[in-house]
Amino acid sequence: MRDNVTDPNAASRRDFLRGSSVAAATAVLTQTAQVGMDEAAAEALATQQISAQSGTISVTLQVNGKALKTEIEPRSTLLDVLRHRLDVTGPKRVCDRGSCGACTVILDGQAVYSCTTLAISSQGKTIRTLESFDTGEGGVPHAFHQNDGLMCGYCTPGFVTACQALLEKNPNPTLEEVKKGLDGNICRCGTYVGVIQAALDAAKAIKV
Amino acid sequence: MAANSWPESTRLLNKDYPRLDGLAKASGRAKYPSDERPEGTLFGVILYSPHAHARIKSIDTAAAEKMPGVKAVEVIAGPGKLVRYHGDDIAVVAAETEEQARDAVRAIQVEYEVLPHAATEAQAMAENAAKVIPSGNVRKGRAQVDGKPEEGLAKADAVIEATYSVPVVTHVCLEPHGLTARWDDKDHITAWASTQAVTATASELAESNELPISNVTVLTEVMGGGFGSKFGADLWGTTAARISKKVGGRPVKIFLDRIQEHLAGGNRPSAMAKVKIGATKDGKITGMIAETFGTGGVARGSGFPLPYVYKFTNFSREHADVFVNGGNSRAMRAPGHPQGCLIMESALDDLAAKLGVDPLVVRKANLGKDLLGDQTDRTQMYLEQIDIGAELIGWSKNFQPRGSQKGIVRRGLGVALHQWGGGGAPDKQVSCTVFPDGTIELKSATQDIGTGIRTVMAMIAAEVFGLQPTDIKSNIGNSTFPPGQSSGGSTTTPSMSPPCYNACLEARDEFFKKIAPALPGAPKPEDLSLADGKLMVKGEAAMSFKDAARKIGMNPISVTGKFSQGLSSNGVAGVQFADVTVDIETGVVKLNKIVAVQDSGLILDKLTWNSQVYGGVIGGLNYGLFEERVMDPVSGRMLNPDMELYQLAGASDIPEIVIHAYEPAAIKKRGVIGIGEPPTIGTAAAIGNAVSNAIGVRVTNWPMTPINVLNALAQAGKV
Repeated sequence: MRDNVTDPNAASRRDFLRGSSVAAATAVLTQTAQVGMDEAAAEALATQQISAQSGTISVTLQVNGKALKTEIEPRSTLLDVLRHRLDVTGPKRVCDRGSCGACTVILDGQAVYSCTTLAISSQGKTIRTLESFDTGEGGVPHAFHQNDGLMCGYCTPGFVTACQALLEKNPNPTLEEVKKGLDGNICRCGTYVGVIQAALDAAKAIKV
Repeated sequence: MAANSWPESTRLLNKDYPRLDGLAKASGRAKYPSDERPEGTLFGVILYSPHAHARIKSIDTAAAEKMPGVKAVEVIAGPGKLVRYHGDDIAVVAAETEEQARDAVRAIQVEYEVLPHAATEAQAMAENAAKVIPSGNVRKGRAQVDGKPEEGLAKADAVIEATYSVPVVTHVCLEPHGLTARWDDKDHITAWASTQAVTATASELAESNELPISNVTVLTEVMGGGFGSKFGADLWGTTAARISKKVGGRPVKIFLDRIQEHLAGGNRPSAMAKVKIGATKDGKITGMIAETFGTGGVARGSGFPLPYVYKFTNFSREHADVFVNGGNSRAMRAPGHPQGCLIMESALDDLAAKLGVDPLVVRKANLGKDLLGDQTDRTQMYLEQIDIGAELIGWSKNFQPRGSQKGIVRRGLGVALHQWGGGGAPDKQVSCTVFPDGTIELKSATQDIGTGIRTVMAMIAAEVFGLQPTDIKSNIGNSTFPPGQSSGGSTTTPSMSPPCYNACLEARDEFFKKIAPALPGAPKPEDLSLADGKLMVKGEAAMSFKDAARKIGMNPISVTGKFSQGLSSNGVAGVQFADVTVDIETGVVKLNKIVAVQDSGLILDKLTWNSQVYGGVIGGLNYGLFEERVMDPVSGRMLNPDMELYQLAGASDIPEIVIHAYEPAAIKKRGVIGIGEPPTIGTAAAIGNAVSNAIGVRVTNWPMTPINVLNALAQAGKV
């Protein structure tokens, strides 16, 4: 679970969108599917009365040490703004609902799922993506590379970022702490063995 | 002269080498097709069916078309058309932003005539079931018969009868299916596609847009996973191209969302089997009768190999495809084999338990040239692999016969054997160009889906030219390059490494011929060699490779290499063991250790080979413990199209995994064989057998979730 879920100041997208068809799709999982479909139908009706929900505002986000100004919609997630408006494409969109960790960024020192963080509530905060990490020997990306802690590589940005955030808080993690620190991320190619070794090696390199 | 064997002693090959694009991937710099947003990109969002089965009565896109930012609305399923599963495509909206496109999709008015559905196998096979296709929901295949199964079973000392089942699972590619298509001018398309086959994707885009294939460029520099589900442009890709044309060539980006990725992006068919199998006291199988079925959704394709691995006579099998209102199945990592393996291995294990014979003895007793496979005799490989694996898992020390354990928390061991082909296609090519500035470039229209072929090709070139792989430009993922292999069936490396090696050898020889006269003393070309980045004349370092390259003059040397026999082969064997602990009160299965012994001929890059074997095992433990597509019979919808209730292993779920590369000299001599699929086949079967060994009863339904374990115990009256 990423910290934005428990941070009372961070608006969660799930709350924001409650009542929308996205949330209706979520309801399918927790209630019966028929109820979900009925809700979706009701939402579709409701949507008919809204001609446009779009509208943009100008924001400045502090991304990797740079102040980046862009137009966003208030409902846009931090992930989508990074990827679609700012060309910061390191964080990936995979599950888009806070389960897989591929979109992980470091927001004011905390690893968060950027797919469930609103861009508008990220103003004034320090946003770090893995593009800003040290790629030299001793850095987390280097350890992933050397241990082949990646295959297709699509989950890798999330794992690298979660690992970086973990080591910034706990530079000397045990194997169990490494696993726990990375449990918010999912890899489909099955690179965990290399990933875990990369995290341990990166921790060792930090100590030197 | 094309080579027919790999060098005996190598500097780089058959050793560890970190992948060339590893740092780019680990630092967020690698640009995936879904990361590309060429100037002027429009975002395409798909409207898909909320119903399992319906006819479109009417579709009104007028409101959607007037919404802010919307540039095009393309209807895929118009009035009168059927949608046959939750997730079937209906329309696409392209807009300036994704948010606007989503709004417009919600504004499309569709009137459905909802039809009765059959979303599960049981529903589809029930009497008076709703018809998924007009000809009926169950289509029987031709029966396979060998010998006299009933007579064979009559000779057995023990016979078991059991049913086993494994549900539909989905590929869950992390990068969704999709592409961005752009009409560059009136007769050229460029597409950035997440695909396992740049050539097939280009061909589909060309055909659907009536362009010559040479006018279409498909780019896949890297891609985020396919597992068999990404072999073409798909309807989504061809629609993106069509919309791009309609809007004057602006790029149109369509990637599925996670829900539709589960619903429509492909899945692995389910498999159910009723098996009767018998053996004599020595463990030799005397006969087997199997009735099997599975579903590939609204398409066929649920076939799987059975009998599997083992050699015996007197069997019969009937298989039926069951049609359900679900997305089409697609090839998935060793298509059919995980299903065939877990059914065969479960039946054999249950038989061994009934006979009271060690499961390893039963397996060893039934080896030979298998009847349904590729006619490779793997007997010797299996015999040695079983012994190696047994040692690594501690079989002789820790194995206890099924049912001998008491207590709440029980430990068990299981084993499974598997096989795969993984040979090379003989018609692929690689070009090797040596430029006067010393640059060496390889080109082929293959793609790296995470297996590391880009790196392997560079290692081969570096081996031949006495350089480092990082010195080589290994350029793939472009459909306009020389014909390369699609990444399926574990065929990429065995298809691409022979033409790569030949291209490099021939380019090097031509290089020697060209520069020899220009060197001091005009040595013969055969006096020249390359090592440590230097040109050697009669074994003495003469100059750097770069300086030598300058002597070729203005024109680069370019050679296109072809396949040759002897560099790659086909037909691998593998054995896996699982050690599990099961709590019979909660039904929770904990993996303690998995051992994978695997051959794949000559291994080129050991580091990426290891990753693939670990990855295969982890994929297999996902099938074994977690994965299941859950369909709701009432609504016909998939209940878990996500990544929380559709469960996959995380870091804490990974047990100790011991992998052993089985590569004695004779195996290495066979040449290169692919590895992407074999190591994922046997894991779920070995886990199932270990669970049964621990708790004393067979858990007949995969995955080994608490509910399935507890149900098995309850049915056996053990709780």
